[in-house]
Amino acid sequence: MPKPNTSNRRIWLLITATAIIAALFIPFSQLVLHVQYDYTLRTVALGGALLGIVSGVLGCFAVLRRQSLLGDALSHAALPGVAIAFLLAGRDLALLLIGAGVTSWLGVWFIRLVTGTTRIKQDAAMGIVLAAWFAAGIALLVYIQARPDASQAGLDTFIFGQAAAIIERDVRLIASVGAVSFIVLALFWKEFKLITFDPEFAGANGFRVNLLSMTLSTLIVVAIVLGLQLAGVILMVGMLIASGIAARQWTNQLGQMVILSAVFGAFAGGAGAIVSAVDADIPTGPLIVVVAFLLVALSLGFAPGRGLVWTLLRQRSDRRRFAAQTILEDLYHYALDHGRADLPAPEPFLLGVRGATAREGLRQLLARGHVQRSNGAWMLTPAGIEAATRDDRNHQLWSLYRQYADDLNLPVIAEDRQQDIADALPPESVAKLEYKLDTIRNAATNAVTKN
Amino acid sequence: MFQLEELIINLLLNFIAREDLNAFLRNPQHTATIVGSLIAVSGALLGTFLLLRGMSLTSDAISHTVLLGIVVAFILMGSVFGQHPDLSSVWLIVGAAVAGVATVLLTELIYRSGLVKQDAALGLAFPLLFAIAVILVSRVVSDVHLDEDAVMVGEIGVAWANTNSHCLSGCESVTITPEDPRAETTRQCTNCRALGISPRDDKAEFTQICTNCGHYSPAQAWQAGFTEQEPVLVFWPKSITVMAVLTLLTLLAILLFYKELKLSTFDPTLAAALGFRPTLLHYGLMVLVSLVAVGAFDAVGSILVVAFFIIPPAAAYLLTDRLPRMLLYSSLIGAAGAYTGYDLARGNLLGIADLSDILAALNNLFGLGLSERWDSSISASMVLMTFLFFLIAWTFSPKYGLVSTMLRRRNQRRSFDHQVVLGHIHHHQDSPAAGEELAVSTLYRHFRWTPAKMQRTLRQLRARNLVQIEAGLVSLTGQGETHAHQFRQTQLTNESVGE
Repeated sequence: MPKPNTSNRRIWLLITATAIIAALFIPFSQLVLHVQYDYTLRTVALGGALLGIVSGVLGCFAVLRRQSLLGDALSHAALPGVAIAFLLAGRDLALLLIGAGVTSWLGVWFIRLVTGTTRIKQDAAMGIVLAAWFAAGIALLVYIQARPDASQAGLDTFIFGQAAAIIERDVRLIASVGAVSFIVLALFWKEFKLITFDPEFAGANGFRVNLLSMTLSTLIVVAIVLGLQLAGVILMVGMLIASGIAARQWTNQLGQMVILSAVFGAFAGGAGAIVSAVDADIPTGPLIVVVAFLLVALSLGFAPGRGLVWTLLRQRSDRRRFAAQTILEDLYHYALDHGRADLPAPEPFLLGVRGATAREGLRQLLARGHVQRSNGAWMLTPAGIEAATRDDRNHQLWSLYRQYADDLNLPVIAEDRQQDIADALPPESVAKLEYKLDTIRNAATNAVTKN
Repeated sequence: MFQLEELIINLLLNFIAREDLNAFLRNPQHTATIVGSLIAVSGALLGTFLLLRGMSLTSDAISHTVLLGIVVAFILMGSVFGQHPDLSSVWLIVGAAVAGVATVLLTELIYRSGLVKQDAALGLAFPLLFAIAVILVSRVVSDVHLDEDAVMVGEIGVAWANTNSHCLSGCESVTITPEDPRAETTRQCTNCRALGISPRDDKAEFTQICTNCGHYSPAQAWQAGFTEQEPVLVFWPKSITVMAVLTLLTLLAILLFYKELKLSTFDPTLAAALGFRPTLLHYGLMVLVSLVAVGAFDAVGSILVVAFFIIPPAAAYLLTDRLPRMLLYSSLIGAAGAYTGYDLARGNLLGIADLSDILAALNNLFGLGLSERWDSSISASMVLMTFLFFLIAWTFSPKYGLVSTMLRRRNQRRSFDHQVVLGHIHHHQDSPAAGEELAVSTLYRHFRWTPAKMQRTLRQLRARNLVQIEAGLVSLTGQGETHAHQFRQTQLTNESVGE
């Protein structure tokens, strides 16, 4: 199949191009924004990019499984874990993240339990977890902050995220945990793909859907927990799903989507972290979300085939293409209904029925020499009559195809009346249809003459 | 607002002495509980409709984005009128309502493009708007009291302190001009900044300026010592008025449009067909949600208000199937959460347990060295109490609760077991194989049950006087015979109906 291959190549080109642009952001920030790349900033940018990759990859699954808002609930649900881990063990990032993971995972479990045992729907269950867990986190944070010693400083950066707090050890932690989750993802790739797109089929084939979807949710929790320090609990959902949504616009294949989403995530995370390092007043999370949303807006607008700009252009060219055909048909039927094929139709009639399409269609037909003016009316030229007859016959053959395809044992194809049926069907099938058409016509004429 | 407060105060003073009213309102607990309950009730009422429409998380999105409305209104006010409004200004409320509706519109715009699913559209729209708001807060208005902590937690504990003072008598307001004998003038160096001259320099020029010019309300005039007679004042917390008005507005809207809301919630298509304009109602509901979210913003913060929209209706949903009762129960649960939450923040869990004792016990057990004084966020504690009530409703709800579901399942299982055994006996009772099939000691094998389960079932059946045991064989009593026969009849009927 040649067509998918070209679109495949286009996707890989796009992925490479985005990666190069993302890499070019570093010299751009140096030259235009006058960012000084010292050790701290390199660490922060690297951390941001790595987090972007992890959340971009795992976020794809949240988007595809229609669980985007689960990310929101779970990131809020991580807060009490951070506070409890701090109370028990002090400010050690790995332990804080484990605490965050545990409460967040309890949130997943609670949502499943509530939706499984009551009639409360998933969105409300997520809202309950979001609010209650977050409140517990706030209550604990306020309790911690009331303590006389200052060791709790910086704990509330988890709420909005602060890139400047990332040090090299954190980057290593992010890299290794991210690598482990990618290995799990690679091992269960086929299963995850299946439960994402067709859980019923997976269940019927004996896959343990509940266990697998719990594992996938756990991986999403891991991504959220790693991202907390950078994006904060409130905006983590944006970082998690935005690059996945952007990537979804460019491709229909999961593998490509995941890779593209990783590149987008790296760009958003890295660029957001760098810009926020320029001005320490701005928390990192909001900046990353804004950058990621720009990527989404670009993708929604310009993705080939799906994007809004693309759709608009196609609609316009379709309207143009069909305008000529529609008006030709109108003229032909008007003329035939009134006796003979070259009878002129008054212009107000055509405009009144079709509006702007009529003007556009007449212009095109005139250029082709299919119509001519006569006294404020339009009539078909011999060439026009020939084209209209051909079109009309084509339409009738298509109608017959729809009606008799089974009876005549014709091959199954997609119906497209704009296409010449001779191009769509093999010659012997067309011959069968034409024979059918002629029999029907003859029968009709005979019936008329008998009467 | 001010006149409204006067009206309420005059009404209240018919029943309560002024000193008592002041003392009552000056107690942080009373004001926090009143404001919290009002927020909880209005949130719960609106949240009930949101829950039934499957839109609970829209309230989450809106409560985040009202911040953008507030910030934008704040900046606009600053640049248009040259002064920033305070946080309870009407314009901020209007800005927030606009932002709330904008969120819903943006979500629908993204969703209507057909490129993004509904949940993802919501997940894109509100983080973006919230992110812009946070960036604006940190860049543009960083010098005012609108910091990120206030965004999330609010300060319901100090709601009592932000008051309007209403004067009953001795109301002499004072305006001080520089000519007034009470004006205090001081000398100030006019050119020391421009020329870099120190005030001690003999070239410094001084002018007389008045340091206390301006208009003094009776309370301020008394405090500053400008009036001899102490004014008789009532201090009325502003948050109470704001939330009371919003709660009344919510109640009024629900009472007026009850029929329309109910219909468009349960059958939007029919509502549209009957000409009830469900879209208009939808946006009206969104405006109300935004208004309550912004009114509550000052007191409980933008995130915790979500709890009052979602948790009480969810609890009420488990308790009843009727809309009026659901509205009532969710309001009650929300108010109860607000009432008991204040005590929880001080460490008192419903009067049952004291959190300080629990912390002390934890310290003793694990040697953690935790601070033993529990003093925490009031609004978060209110949410936690509401959540506790949800858990109680979930566990003990008579119809949908965990316990009753478990009991119902057990009864079903038990009655199924009884039927199976009765059927077995009925089938084999007079057959030649009865001796083998109905022996008490081996009966369990025919069902592949454990002997213990068989014994239990037989005991229950004997207690119901349906079977008897004679010489190691079970048989049906007369009553059991009728029972089995009836069951067989209904089964036959069911089968023929099924066909």
